[in-house]
Order: sequence, then structure tokens, then C-alpha cells
Amino acid sequence: MEEKKQCKGCGGALPFVIGFVAAVIAGWVLFPDLIYSKKTQPVRFSHKIHQEQGMECSSCHTFRDDGSYAGIPTNEKCMECHADVVGSDPAEQVYVEKYAKTGKEVPWLIYQYQPDNVIFSHKAHESLECTSCHPDMGKNDTPPVYYENRLSGYSKQTMKMWKCERCHAENGVSNACHVCHK
Amino acid sequence: MGLDRRGFVKLVVGGVAGTLFTPVIWQGLDDASIWSQNWGWIPRVPKGEVKAASALSKLCPAGCAVKVKTVGGQPFAVTGNTENPMSKGGVCPVCAGGAQLMYSPARVKSPMKKVGEGKYEAIKWEDAEAMLVEKLTPLKGQDGKIAAISGDETGTANEVLSAMLAGLGSTGYYVMPGEMFTASKGVKLMGGNGQPGFDIEGADLVLMIGADALDSWGATVANQKAFAATRPTGAEATAQFVYAGPVLNSTASVCDKFLAVPPTATTAFSLALANALITAGAVSSASDFGDYKALAAKYTAEVFEKATGLKAEVLKDLAAKIKAAKAPLVIAGASFGQGAGALDFVAGASLNVLLGRVGQKGGMTLLPAAPKAIASATDRENAKDAASFLASVATGKATPGALLIYEANPAYALPQAGDMAKAMGNIGFKVSFSTYMDETAALADLILPAPHPYERFDDAMNPYGVSKPTYLAGKPVVAKPVMDCKDPVDVLLAAAGKLGLSLGFDTYADVIKAKAKAVGADFDALANGGIWNGEPKGGSLSLGAAALAKAPAAKADDKAVALAPVSKLAYGTGSLATPPANLLVVRDTELLGKDLLVQMNAATAKKLGVASGNKVKLSAGTGEVKALVHVNEGVAADTVAMLLGFGRSAWDEFTKGKGDNVYKILTVSDEAGTGLKVWAGSTVTVAKI
Repeated sequence: MEEKKQCKGCGGALPFVIGFVAAVIAGWVLFPDLIYSKKTQPVRFSHKIHQEQGMECSSCHTFRDDGSYAGIPTNEKCMECHADVVGSDPAEQVYVEKYAKTGKEVPWLIYQYQPDNVIFSHKAHESLECTSCHPDMGKNDTPPVYYENRLSGYSKQTMKMWKCERCHAENGVSNACHVCHK
Repeated sequence: MGLDRRGFVKLVVGGVAGTLFTPVIWQGLDDASIWSQNWGWIPRVPKGEVKAASALSKLCPAGCAVKVKTVGGQPFAVTGNTENPMSKGGVCPVCAGGAQLMYSPARVKSPMKKVGEGKYEAIKWEDAEAMLVEKLTPLKGQDGKIAAISGDETGTANEVLSAMLAGLGSTGYYVMPGEMFTASKGVKLMGGNGQPGFDIEGADLVLMIGADALDSWGATVANQKAFAATRPTGAEATAQFVYAGPVLNSTASVCDKFLAVPPTATTAFSLALANALITAGAVSSASDFGDYKALAAKYTAEVFEKATGLKAEVLKDLAAKIKAAKAPLVIAGASFGQGAGALDFVAGASLNVLLGRVGQKGGMTLLPAAPKAIASATDRENAKDAASFLASVATGKATPGALLIYEANPAYALPQAGDMAKAMGNIGFKVSFSTYMDETAALADLILPAPHPYERFDDAMNPYGVSKPTYLAGKPVVAKPVMDCKDPVDVLLAAAGKLGLSLGFDTYADVIKAKAKAVGADFDALANGGIWNGEPKGGSLSLGAAALAKAPAAKADDKAVALAPVSKLAYGTGSLATPPANLLVVRDTELLGKDLLVQMNAATAKKLGVASGNKVKLSAGTGEVKALVHVNEGVAADTVAMLLGFGRSAWDEFTKGKGDNVYKILTVSDEAGTGLKVWAGSTVTVAKI
């Protein structure tokens, strides 16, 4: 009778523990793989090669005259050098043939794309290092994999509002709605 | 060890508890909340550089020089071009919505071929162009078998169209009605030649007889800027504006004085004013002054009162004001910009001659004919009117085999519109070159989508009303049209080539550049928002007494009342339905739900036995329109006023089926002495239903 009770108690804890551990493993290991789909950039752009040519970040990622940030350059900028194939990298050939010559803009995947209701001014954040928010792309030879959230549609790296708010709070900047949502 | 039911429950509970220590639930909720905002109908803001490009927006009849704001190369807003001396930063209410109209659901998306009643099939451009050539080939060389109607008053496209027809052996080139046409005829009746202009900017008293110059007449924006310049902030007005017309419209509402003159009495009003001025001492050196004086003397105060319903004192006051002014100017025209007779124009313009205001600063000018890019093109003033043409088609006098319709909507915007649309059915092959799916395109056998103004080269020579020769030109703002469209002129030039006719150009861009060169303008400067101005020509005019002697006296008809169609540029034009955003400014006293309102003063309502809110039927000829009565003291005696621009049967969900088309009850008659088709003084019968 006593033995039976003990056995029942032990058997009762084990399934719970197994379920608990399995869920924790699934949640931390399998879930991230399931919730994000992996995508690669349409052109294998090498920041490393461009840096080695002596280019600065600001050679392509510039502020416009009105203070707005140009973000990723358009064909107009790329074609200053790549209107025709100038090197031997097959990725360059892909760019020239698929985009430069057809006039179609490259549908780059934006790692930190923000929704339209967020007005983010790069000019106001100019004093910060790019890498405070963006991955350090300068040394990349191959663009990192783009993880797209299957549910929300946004990139894994898209900065969430709590991060913006934390930084604002830490730096004494207002967190009023209208600061970012116009 | 087996897993019993209790064990399974524990496993699940453990799993759920474990899940709470993972991101699954928390991130899932967060992602789901973001997903819930991803509705497909939420417009996406295009990313890219915000720029402003100069453009010539010909959505309005005069054309506005505008700046088109683009983001990433795509237009999203329009502002006035402050550097353009004509618009001076202003923009009309139609062109202001130009960016939205570029993405309108009413746009023709690709070439379409009629495959059944109201049924169309999208076809390739090469097939559409081949079909056009195939249909025109057997008609080549037969006069009248190929006809064209143009709705563009100012573009050099007219030269291509008319020269192409001439080259194919046809004289069937027609234009949609407009004031430019009748005014030029009027100038001829006064012994002159050329398009009249009006220097509103330089006048210190502007009398507008019918002409809705601050809204829908002439170069609206330039007129409004000239008006605004006379109203400096915090200072006295430097010019007086008087509106004498059938309705207290947008122009009348800002004028110093409004005189309610029925549309049937404009000639009588002008000649009675001439009589009052002559009585007050006005003389003219014109050779026909004696005859004119004798004619004007017939328009006594009593005749004036009977014709207009106004008191004779009003006329005296006005004559005194004009006499006191240093630079008075008279502008005559129909209140809705078309259908007036040449004699109505002559009666008004003769006042400028009487006052010695022709060729003077702040007066009436005459513009020389512009040099042509294509020598064989028809002179603009010799163009024939589309209403007469379709009336001939209806009776079988004209039997065209093919009709090319360029930027025009004759099935909707001609008087007796229902009859005109029916007459088009007698034509075997109709091609509509149109940006939008309008009422005429909906009747065509082949629809060839034309680019929106920001997608094409275009120009505007001497928009009606300008006081000196004026030329504007524009080039595309966008690299690629939104729809699968081609410039109609490019299509026509290619078709002409296949029919063995060379007009010397391959593209419309080349034609416009040649036009600019002929005019003496720099095309690049024009395309960047500039303007070319020449000098008006000299010369004098007679008072037109011989022509005015044939002016018929207004007929009194107890059963009918005069119809005054009201044109508001904001509500669109004959060739452009009300821009969706502008529908928001239509008043409940103009359109209530789907019912159009007919405005009349209390005396007219009493005479007709109707009251506010009554549903009535207005009939004239074979047409009828239903409307609700709205009593409005801003309407002239024995006159009913109704808005134009509604009752669309094509276009889009925003404009279709709202109100009724007043063009249906405008009846055409022949003007005595000139033979011109007129409909500005149409009358209608009103019956309660």
C-alpha cells in the first residue's frame, strides 16, 4: 500500500517534468526555426569588397539635401560604377543583367524595415554609431540571412518599440507618441 | 511504464508550464498583434527621395503649370509652380488632385476591343494598332469617311490630327465646343482676326457678362491670381469686379456686385448697357458707330427690365461705374463655358470697342495665329464644331466610316447628349484615345489608353482668355506610365506612316519640340516649368453693328424657363468626371444622395407651382432630367440652374450614377445671322412628379 503510493507520486512528477523540459527545448530550439523563414538577398552584395576599394559607408548610404536618409542606394547610384560588368564576380553580373540593364530596382530585403506608422529620422540619430542599431555589415562578404517572421511579415532584426523607448528613456528623450508616430 | 490518462494530463500540463518559459506564447502574441495590423487595404507609403518635378497638367481645359511631388519617382501630390508667371504658384481644383487621378480605378488599363454590347477584351498594342490601320485603309482618300473629334483646345496634337486627316483625303476634323471657337468667330464678325484675350491684371473694373472667369472660364488660375492681386491684405481693393450672369456662382460670390441676368438676356443686357453708356456720353471712332448707336437705342430701360428682370437703376449705376473707371474691361461668354453664340460675344466685346479698350493695357487684345509645326494642319480658328457634325450623322447627312476621338467625351458633354450618343451608333468604327473609361470610350469599338498628363509630352498654345500669346509645354514626370498606355499622337503618327502618309515626325515629343522652335521658345525651359510669351497683335475692331442687327429678340414663353447650367471646375469637366476627393465639397443643395438639385428663385418656383424638396422632371427636346427643387435667390428671374458634371454612366464607383446629366436637356438651335449652333439660352419645361 505504502509502496504503491510512493510509486504513484514518482510517476506523477515524471510526465510533468518531461512535458516541461520538452516544451522548453521546443520553444527555444525549434520555435525560432519554425516562426522565421530564411531568405537571401536578390544579389549577393559584398560590403567587404566595396570597403576594400576604399569606399566609406557614407559613399552609398547618404543623407539627402533635405536631411532625409537615402537608406539603400538605388540603381542610379549603383550604376555609377556598375552600368556594365567591371569585375569577375558572378553576383555583379546578376546585378547588371537583371537590374541595371532592365531599369528595375533591386528588391533588397531590409533587415530593419519599420512599418509606415513609424517616422524614424536618421538625422536625429546621427550622433550614434550605425552599429548601435544595425548589424555591422562592413566586413560582410555575403549578406546575412534574412529571417522573415512568418506571422508578422517583418524581419527578425526589426527593432521593436520597447527598444526605442528604452533608449529614449535612458537618454532623456521624450517617449510621447507623436515623437515617432505622426 | 505506460502512460495513463493522469500521466498524459500531467505531461500536457508540464508542456504548457514549460511553454511559459519559452518565447512561444509571448512572441506569438506579439507577432499576432503586428499581423493584425497588416490589412491588405492599408496603403503602403512608397519609400524614396522626395522630389518636385515641373509638369504641364492638362486635366483642366486651360492647363496648369504645376510641380508634381514624387517619392521614389512616383507622384503623390501636386502644388502650384511659383516660378511660372502664369499660375504664380496657384493650381486649379482639378489639377490639384492630379496625382490621385493618375492611379484612378477609372483609367483604361490596356488597349481594348469591343466584343459585344458593353463587353471589352484586352488586346496587345500591336494588335490594336494593326486594327486601326486595317479599318482606316479602305476609307483613305474618301472625303468625310474618316472623321476626328478633338477635346483638346490647346495642344499641337490637333495639328497632327487635322494634318493626318487632310493627308488621308478627309476634311472631317472637328472640335468639342468651347468659348475660343465662338469668340474667334465673333472677332471675325467685328472685322478682325484672331483669338481675343483679356488683360484682367491691368484692368481696374472687370465686368463679366456670363463668363465665369474666376472659376470655370478661361485660364482660371491666372484669372484668380489677377483678382487676388487687386485685393491686397489690409488695403483697399484696386479694381472692381462685377458679375452679370444667371447664377450667384463662385465668380459672383467674390465680386463687388452680382447682377442676376437670365442666360436668354445676355445680348440684351450688353446692348442696353451700350445704350446707357452712349447716353452718358460714350462715343467711338469705329466706322459703324452710327448704326451701333441706333441699334443700342432700341434697348431702352424698359426693354432691359423686361429682358433681365432687373431694375433700370442697376444699369445706370453700372454705366456710371464703368464711366468712372480708368481701365474697364468687359468679358462676355456663356456661364458654363460653351454654347453661346458669336453674337453674345460680339455684344459684350463691342462694349470694349465702345470704351476704347481694345489693344489697351487692361483691355481686350487680339492674339496672332501661332506658327504651326505641321504646315498642312488646319488653322485652329477654322476648326468645325463636333455638335454640328454629330447632328449631321444623326440625320444621315454625314456618313463617316471611322471616327477618331481624341481626349473628348462627345457622348456625355455635347448638348442633347442622349441624341449625340445615339448618333455615334451610326458610325461603323469608333476609336477612343482616352486616359479614362468615359462615356464615349464605353461606346467605342477600340479603346486606346492615353497617358495621364504626368506620363506624356504635351503642350498648350494660347489657352483661351490669356491677354498675350502664351505657350506652355511639359514632359513626363514618371519614367514609366502606370498603365499599359501609349501617347495617342505617337499611335496616330505610326498609323499614318503605315497608311503611306508621312507628317515628318515619329513622336509627339518631336512635334512639340518643333512647335517650340517655330514659336521661338526653348523647349527645355518650358518643360522645366517656364513659359513663352509673345506680344498681342495690333489692329482695330468694329462694333459689329451689322451682325448685332440680326440678333433675335428674346422670346417670352410662359411654359418654359431658361436653363442655366452651372459649371464648377472642382466638379470636373466634360472630359473628366469629378475627382473622387472633390466629391466631398459638393453641397447638399447641389446633390443630395443620388438626386441632383435644380435651383430657382422663389418667384420662379411659384410660377412653376413647385416648392423646395419637390421632385421635378425637366424636359427639352428628347431629353429629360429628374431633380429635387431647391429655392435659391441667387438665380436670375425665370431661370433654373443645375450643375453640370454629374449623371455619369461610366468612370468609377465614386462618380457613377450620381445625379443626372444636364447636357441631355440642352437644346441646339441655329444662331440667326451666323448659322452657328448655340445652346446657351436653352429653355426647359418643368413638371412636378
